[in-house]
Amino acid sequence: MDLPEITENKLPTEPSKRIDENAIKAWKLSALLFGAIIYAIPGLAYLIYKLDGDISMLYPIIAGPVAVMLHCLMIFVFPKIRWKRWKYDVTDKGIDMQRGIIITKRTIVPINRIQHVDTRQGPIYRKYGLSSISMSTAATTHEIPALNEERAVELREIISDLVRKVKEDV
Amino acid sequence: MSEFRRQHPIAAVTQLFVVIRQNIVPFIIFVVLGSRNSGDYFWMIILFGAISTFILGVVSWYRFKFRVIDDELQINKGVLVRKKLYLSKDRIQVIDITEGLLQRMFGLVKVEIKTAGGGTEKATISAITRNEAIELRTLLRENRQGAELKADETSEIELQEKPELSSPPKMWVLSNRDLFFAALTSGNFGVIASILGAVSGQLDQFITEENMDYVFGLLPGISQLTVVLWSIAFILMISYILSFIGVILRYGDFKIEKKDKELLITSGLLERKQITVPFDRVQAFRFVEGVLRQPFGYGMLYVESAGFEQKENDRSIVLLPFVKRDRLSSFLEEFMNEMPESGETIVPPKRALFRYMRQPNYLLLIAIPVLWLFWDWAWMLSLLVIPFTLFGWLEYKDARIKVAQHTILMQYRNLARTTAIIKRNRVQVSDISMNPFQKRKKLSTVSITAASGAGGKTFTVNDLDEMEAITLLHWPINALQ
Repeated sequence: MDLPEITENKLPTEPSKRIDENAIKAWKLSALLFGAIIYAIPGLAYLIYKLDGDISMLYPIIAGPVAVMLHCLMIFVFPKIRWKRWKYDVTDKGIDMQRGIIITKRTIVPINRIQHVDTRQGPIYRKYGLSSISMSTAATTHEIPALNEERAVELREIISDLVRKVKEDV
Repeated sequence: MSEFRRQHPIAAVTQLFVVIRQNIVPFIIFVVLGSRNSGDYFWMIILFGAISTFILGVVSWYRFKFRVIDDELQINKGVLVRKKLYLSKDRIQVIDITEGLLQRMFGLVKVEIKTAGGGTEKATISAITRNEAIELRTLLRENRQGAELKADETSEIELQEKPELSSPPKMWVLSNRDLFFAALTSGNFGVIASILGAVSGQLDQFITEENMDYVFGLLPGISQLTVVLWSIAFILMISYILSFIGVILRYGDFKIEKKDKELLITSGLLERKQITVPFDRVQAFRFVEGVLRQPFGYGMLYVESAGFEQKENDRSIVLLPFVKRDRLSSFLEEFMNEMPESGETIVPPKRALFRYMRQPNYLLLIAIPVLWLFWDWAWMLSLLVIPFTLFGWLEYKDARIKVAQHTILMQYRNLARTTAIIKRNRVQVSDISMNPFQKRKKLSTVSITAASGAGGKTFTVNDLDEMEAITLLHWPINALQ
């Protein structure tokens, strides 16, 4: 695999690689399932209205459609933007990650600070052949989500090789 | 020390004292305010708590045994769950000896043995005699150094240099005058919170309409507002005095000793605490200039060291409780072997000024309408716009980053001004972030995280130029020329 060279004269304005496109489908599915929890709010409002009658009927009437709208947003809008914003690079010096729907955040983890790397796969990711890869330092943990399974395993090997090489140098 | 031995029996009581001391303020208020109406039950609960803590203390003292054998410190302990804690000598990083108030009365000390590495563990022996402690330390230390020498043949050169290096042991002592001013300017109002928290729970019984009418009847012509203001002033006074005493007790007789590989910090009047800072665990320095101290050019210096403490508060170690800003670099050079570096200074660009001045005012934007619901005069708070804007301007003026080859200096103001010096090869992670408003002005927020204790400490400077931020983001992995 190619490792882009970072030279001191020209720093990349953003990382170059994207995560797997199946991420959008996987995130849509998980938003469909787990996002449904927001219906608890209008549900609860309705329950209180029904049992207690102490609050106005307006609460459940307003909360219901709002919950539906939010759920639609979570399913149809956010996964796509999130995928579009997620970019990363792995070089022999560090891991470069950029993400964020509203606030763009970019993080560089120096390679010699990484203590361990592992890949993870939940049931939804497995359905779409995806895997996430997470790296821990002494202070923090970072994750690149939704990579192609083989790619994630390959990347994990590459990163742990790089870490080993750097640690030997020191 | 190859046979198992127990601690001094007083260790059985220390637990009880720790519990009492941790809850001293609520306890006193509870006793003074609460005992009147609650009657005998109250005392029975207190007594029951004390007795069960004492019994627990005795049993855990009985179960706690330790010895040093085969390059290992072995501790057996545990009341319900028996635990065997074995620490091998070469993993032991720091051995701290503390004299607590109770231990002091019996000529005893507490020993904390801390290891570093993946699984961070800490062993505490809470009461043994001073001689035992020193014997323990030499036993654990000697072998460690012996092993190091064996493993590392190149250290012969170091050996020759060592006597020269350590011949005049360097000391730094906090003078009584500095201690006094440190206490005067500490303004540690965290104490208020604990007092208020304890009081508010008990206050309901007092603030009844009858009581209030009675008070106002006694003080004709005094409005409710005056009473509130006086109470606030009173609480502020009390907490100021408490924080004054706290600083005197904590940093009294403060001294630093420089050894070959570590710094030894000793401080405290009632409880003498000793902290060891190995040079190779140092991640960053943090100089905090409190609001009351900055006008005089003074502040407090902390060191972030990797490894031991899980609790957020204990992670940073106080290196100098009170020091003048312009003496910092000579101290770091002399005691921490940190050479001053010249570097490139980066400040927020002009176009960031308005963002800085605007930001503190967002708080008012939310607070005023909400307060207005309860208080008709809340609109008066909008006058705060002026000091808040000035404060934003100060934040802008203080924000600065200086990058050099091996260190980065980050200065920013929250309320106090913080200046952090982070070592390049200790940076765990660097971040930049951009919200939509920043994007429009091509500005970025830069954060750098160093390890501290068992977690991390993040330093952040807002609204730097986008391209400069990208350069800073890469600084930990790419040296700047």
